[in-house]
Amino acid sequence: MNAVQRFIRSRVLLLTASILIVSMCLSVLVQGQSQAALNRTVDQNSRGLYDVLVQAGAEDNGGLMQPEIATGQGGISFEQLDSLRKLSGTSVAAPISLVSRVTQNLESPRLDATDYLGFNAGLAGTAGDPSATDPSKWPAAESVLSDTPRKYRLTASAVSSDGHSDQTLFKTMAEGSLGKAQLIEEQVAGGKNVRIAGPAGETGIKFPAPAGGSEHSLFNLSVSLPFAPQVTESVVAVDPVSERALLGPAGDFLAPLEKAPPADARNAGAIGRHFESLFTTGIGMDELKEGPDFLGVKLKYWAPLMSQYQQAKRSGLLTEDSQAIPMIVRSGTSLDLKYSVKIEEIDASGNVTKDVGTVTRSLDKDYLPFVSKSPFALAWPGSKDLSQLLGDAGSFSQGLYNPATWSTDFASAPKYQDGETAGNGAVDKSATPGDWVTVNRLPEKAANGAPVDQTQRKPVDERSYREDLETGKKLATPLAMVYGTFDAETVKEAAGDVNRLPLGGYDPAPFTLTKDASGKDAGNTELKPSLSATGLASQSAGAITDFYGLAAARGYEDNASVIDAVRVRAKVPGSWKEAQPEVEKLASEIRDMGLQATIVAGSAREDASIFVPGYSKDDAGKESPLGTVQQSWVRQDAAEAVSGSLTGTNLTLLFLTLCGAALLTGASTVSYVRKRRSEAGTLRAMGWTQRRIRSWVLAEFGVGAALLAVAGIILSLVSWNPATAVVSASVLALYAGAAVFAAQQLRHREVVDQEPQHDERLIAVDSPLTFANRQLSSNKFNTISLAVAVAVFGAAVGGMAALLIDIPRAAGASALSGLAATSIALPSIILGLSGVAVGLLLTMVTGRFELQAKRQYLGTLQAMGWNPDMLGQVRFFENAMVGMVALPLGVLGALGIGLLLAPYAALWAAVAGLVAVLCWIPIATKVVR
Amino acid sequence: MNNDLNLDREAHDRMTASSRRGAHQTRANTIVKATDHATPLELSNITIHYGGGKGGAEAVNVVDDFNMTLHAGEMHCVAGRSGSGKTSILTVGAGLTLPTSGRVFWEGDSLETMGDDEIADRRRALIGYVDQGGALIDGMSALENVLLPAVPDGEVDKRRDMAKDLLDLVGLGRRMRHRPAQLSGGERQRVAIARALILGTRVLIVDEPTASLDRASANRIISILKDTTSDGIAVLVASHDHELVRQSDTLTELI
Repeated sequence: MNAVQRFIRSRVLLLTASILIVSMCLSVLVQGQSQAALNRTVDQNSRGLYDVLVQAGAEDNGGLMQPEIATGQGGISFEQLDSLRKLSGTSVAAPISLVSRVTQNLESPRLDATDYLGFNAGLAGTAGDPSATDPSKWPAAESVLSDTPRKYRLTASAVSSDGHSDQTLFKTMAEGSLGKAQLIEEQVAGGKNVRIAGPAGETGIKFPAPAGGSEHSLFNLSVSLPFAPQVTESVVAVDPVSERALLGPAGDFLAPLEKAPPADARNAGAIGRHFESLFTTGIGMDELKEGPDFLGVKLKYWAPLMSQYQQAKRSGLLTEDSQAIPMIVRSGTSLDLKYSVKIEEIDASGNVTKDVGTVTRSLDKDYLPFVSKSPFALAWPGSKDLSQLLGDAGSFSQGLYNPATWSTDFASAPKYQDGETAGNGAVDKSATPGDWVTVNRLPEKAANGAPVDQTQRKPVDERSYREDLETGKKLATPLAMVYGTFDAETVKEAAGDVNRLPLGGYDPAPFTLTKDASGKDAGNTELKPSLSATGLASQSAGAITDFYGLAAARGYEDNASVIDAVRVRAKVPGSWKEAQPEVEKLASEIRDMGLQATIVAGSAREDASIFVPGYSKDDAGKESPLGTVQQSWVRQDAAEAVSGSLTGTNLTLLFLTLCGAALLTGASTVSYVRKRRSEAGTLRAMGWTQRRIRSWVLAEFGVGAALLAVAGIILSLVSWNPATAVVSASVLALYAGAAVFAAQQLRHREVVDQEPQHDERLIAVDSPLTFANRQLSSNKFNTISLAVAVAVFGAAVGGMAALLIDIPRAAGASALSGLAATSIALPSIILGLSGVAVGLLLTMVTGRFELQAKRQYLGTLQAMGWNPDMLGQVRFFENAMVGMVALPLGVLGALGIGLLLAPYAALWAAVAGLVAVLCWIPIATKVVR
Repeated sequence: MNNDLNLDREAHDRMTASSRRGAHQTRANTIVKATDHATPLELSNITIHYGGGKGGAEAVNVVDDFNMTLHAGEMHCVAGRSGSGKTSILTVGAGLTLPTSGRVFWEGDSLETMGDDEIADRRRALIGYVDQGGALIDGMSALENVLLPAVPDGEVDKRRDMAKDLLDLVGLGRRMRHRPAQLSGGERQRVAIARALILGTRVLIVDEPTASLDRASANRIISILKDTTSDGIAVLVASHDHELVRQSDTLTELI
């Protein structure tokens, strides 16, 4: 029988070589696959909308970049912007600045109740108007109010919420009687006059100053409510052409802005007069509805400009220097401001006789900054809107009446300080708040000079972070000219999720509350901007304008450094790895210009945990923390970190699999030696020399080694990876070592032990436990081999647990690492499972050493009359004792692997190793049976 | 013990066993010498088949319709060539394996009615089984091996002196602290017989006690077995040793 036949006949060697080849192939293949998947994911996701962020100066945040880049601080001039654009490596250079914070007064909220009388005399705009509704088609008279006045109590409140806690801004109440309006004919000089008035005995309802009272109009009874809210919006400036180049199709909303007139053609008076002239020259209703054409753009929201122009002209705010600022306004708002009115019918003594209902309205997606004039128009329960009876009003009544107040007070970003860094690289920070200001305070006197009841509202301390920038001369009032709207969500989608680079104030990074002030889980509540905001919670800018708009609002001199940041995209295409040299060269050139250039290509989004102290202040002035919030920042060099870390994880797994293979080889070699010992004795008896026996053994191992070498060479050639060659060589070396060991072990032993056993030194065998103990202590080598095998199994399970826990955060805390880890999760899990399988196989191979002998002596015990229960106890105690020896080894091994793969998951790895070894005990007990 | 148990030649001549075994069938006829003893072991219509399972292997009838009654104080020998089913009959008689069909009675009680625990308890009290080669436990001395059957009843200390006496009786008084690996084949066999007798066994079942032993050692074993019968112990032995066959009281020859 030649060596090949003997190799095949020796199942242990054949099995071992097969397992080693399979594990070698699997390891190399899986490692190659996962590395390729990792590279692919990193390449696809680590280059965002731009490559370099240019700022005049920014604090170093240890590689973690904060999202606030449009601060209003400026620092980059237009000349520098031109220089950036002229660099040969620049493809797009998109500037951005925070222009201003603009405060607009919304109209006072009102409560409308249908009070239609069916009488059209005196209706403005209806007499002779062909578009007006024919009086014969008017509905019958109706009203939600009774003919005789009834007494009502109105309780009005306004609540602002940040998503975590509510802030009641005011709560006030008024009582009075209301009834259905009546037509009153009065004799006046020259004839009769018909007017609408309340029924006899109606007192009306009037809230304390500064709110108005109830009033009958043509169709409604309107009650003016208190608290006319002021809404502050920020405005950012971009270059619409380069911004569109940056955003791609998602930036198409900026197209109208490209058609805005140049700076010297934006005189507010001239533009206002142009629109006034439309009425004198005549304009069709259809054109009004669509919006009159202005230099190629249909200005749908022309009415706000007109009404504000007229108001400004009347009040003297409009000067020759006043400019119209073209802007794209945000559609909707995330400011949570809710207005509610509870209506109750009461008797003379003030007792509630009927709950009429509660009406509520919030600022919502229908709200448009600089356009919506009356967002809090509430309707009495049961009311109908009959305003269409006036005919098609078009856009006549849309828009604010008063020009907004443009301010040079900026909301500056909070200051952040680094806290502890977690094991996965996540950074904790704390936010340093600025000063408190008090908002929601009523004026001292009403319009008529009467003192105002200050108890109506609850003044709120708002953390404002405002800094005053003295930028230039006293400005003439600018007028907002709305060119279109934008949807913040569309911009967000264009920015992507993994490599979410900051775009500026119109694409803010929201905050999520993760832990409240007491450290308890807050359910990841997204914080909304509210009137009691800290300056942390932000929403998209109310409007986007161009840099001429910024000049008009700021009034700066030529070439002032008003650009906050420039986002530069390099000309070079391709993945981050391909583009890296050119991007770095470009960044270097920018730095040579004296600007700060942060390379953001190869970065990824990462959630920074920020502890926010001093979020609210009670009446006594004591500050309370908000808790811990999360916000998406940008981790620089995430691509390299992810690649490096996950590659390290892969290599560690490869190493561990090799360790398992080494142990398996060792175990199988011992098994081989045991089987061949008697054969070697026979051969020796036949006159074989020790050298010949060694050759005989080595020839068998040589067949396996040749197979391994061939497999290694093929794998190395196919994968063309140094790791493959290293793995193949390691496995071959292991196998060769095992062969030498086996040959050494089969040598003849001369000495035969004839010493009698000293029973008195041993524990007497008088129970299944002591029997099991004696068996294990008599076969120390097998016991320890099996214990080591079980420990390897436990350690492998622990490693697997560590891997599963670690994969989502393998390379740190960035979104890219999560994505990359997910893409290689399956190959890594397969690798981990193969480690567990090798561990399990090891226990089986080792366990087989003694399985036959165990079955034999258990049969002997059975023949002696040991009952099944006692035999079961023997099996259990044997495995339990092996398990006890394996337990510390397995737990320590799992802990070690856990520390190698994921230090923060090491404890879980140890627990998994412990559980695996404990589970092995009953399983092995069952198998031996 | 009585060493005066010689085989009655006449009786032996009466013990003729004849059977014809075809390719798939075994037949055995047993001639039992009449005695006045009780019957601690009885095998009735025992048939043992092997194979024929899921693997598709052809079933082999090892033993077919075998009957035997073992009386107290007699030595019954099951003889036959290798593979004729001697060991199978012994293991069935010891309740270690179940026959394909037929019934086994211990002191008149059928094993069919007993559970595993009861069989184990009854076996411990009634039967001492000596496996081929002795089947001693490695790592334990001869004395410890002899005491092993006393473990389930917690009588190890109580029976220690008796174990030493038994080892003395089988001529191993000076070897009681040696481990199986340090004993010869005959010595291991004698330790196993001593172990089988430690609990006051009434039936001693011994499989091939003299196989691979020299004549002197074999005669020593045969002598010990004969001595046990004088104490009323029934001995069932499987062997193809002519001397052992000659000295047994009854014989079944499997062909």
